[in-house]
Amino acid sequence: MNRPLSPFMFPTWYRFQTTSGLSILHRLTGIALAVGSILLAWWLVSVAAGGELFAATHAFIASPIGMLLLFGWSIAFFYHLCNGVRHLAWDAGFGFELRQAYRSGYAVLAAAALLTALAWLYVFLV
Amino acid sequence: MANAPSLPDSTALRDETELRRVRQLGSARSGLREWRLQRLTALALIPLGLYFAASVLRLATSGQLTAAAWLSSPVPALLVILFVLAGLAHALIGVKSVLLDYVHTRARLLAAELLVRAAAVILAGASVLAILKLFLGR
Repeated sequence: MNRPLSPFMFPTWYRFQTTSGLSILHRLTGIALAVGSILLAWWLVSVAAGGELFAATHAFIASPIGMLLLFGWSIAFFYHLCNGVRHLAWDAGFGFELRQAYRSGYAVLAAAALLTALAWLYVFLV
Repeated sequence: MANAPSLPDSTALRDETELRRVRQLGSARSGLREWRLQRLTALALIPLGLYFAASVLRLATSGQLTAAAWLSSPVPALLVILFVLAGLAHALIGVKSVLLDYVHTRARLLAAELLVRAAAVILAGASVLAILKLFLGR
């Protein structure tokens, strides 16, 4: 079977649409968050262990790479959360019209950006 | 039942199971259960995720409250355990559905799914043990 499978349709045959872009972003952020659960478990274990392990973990999180990772995960978290609510609305049968799907998509992007900005402003300003 | 044709193993992905004939429409396998669990954990993760995010922000900005002190109190301990379990269950279903789309060999798919499942169980176990240690040892 040498037919093109759907993931390979995208760059060549499909025109880019905001809606499908957001759908792919939902998957990518979901995978990123699944990977992030490794750091979450590691952090919890280091808090329980205390001492040197916690100090090393804390130093890593506070380092530029750690902060960059946290920033990325915060974007992924808020986007996946907001778009997840959009998915739940679809599951309940709401918002299937094309106009509504685009509007809710832009609303999700705005809400995710706002929540991420508020979270980091809180960290740096409070 | 008596007239059911016995299918060779290579056609096992077809929907011709006995349960399929009983139920007529819909999935005869575990698809609906996973679909339902993914939505159920998604609903639970809205408040649990927001609680966790807000708590981490509070920890990051508080000079006095330490992570160990926070996790050893009962409500945070319970809610973070629920957050981790719901999150990993949700992640496991999600990652498995991604694997299903991109891994086309049955043996590789099974191996990948088992690996991801093992990772989720280990991460869940380690997280719960860590929180229990803090909660019980206070």
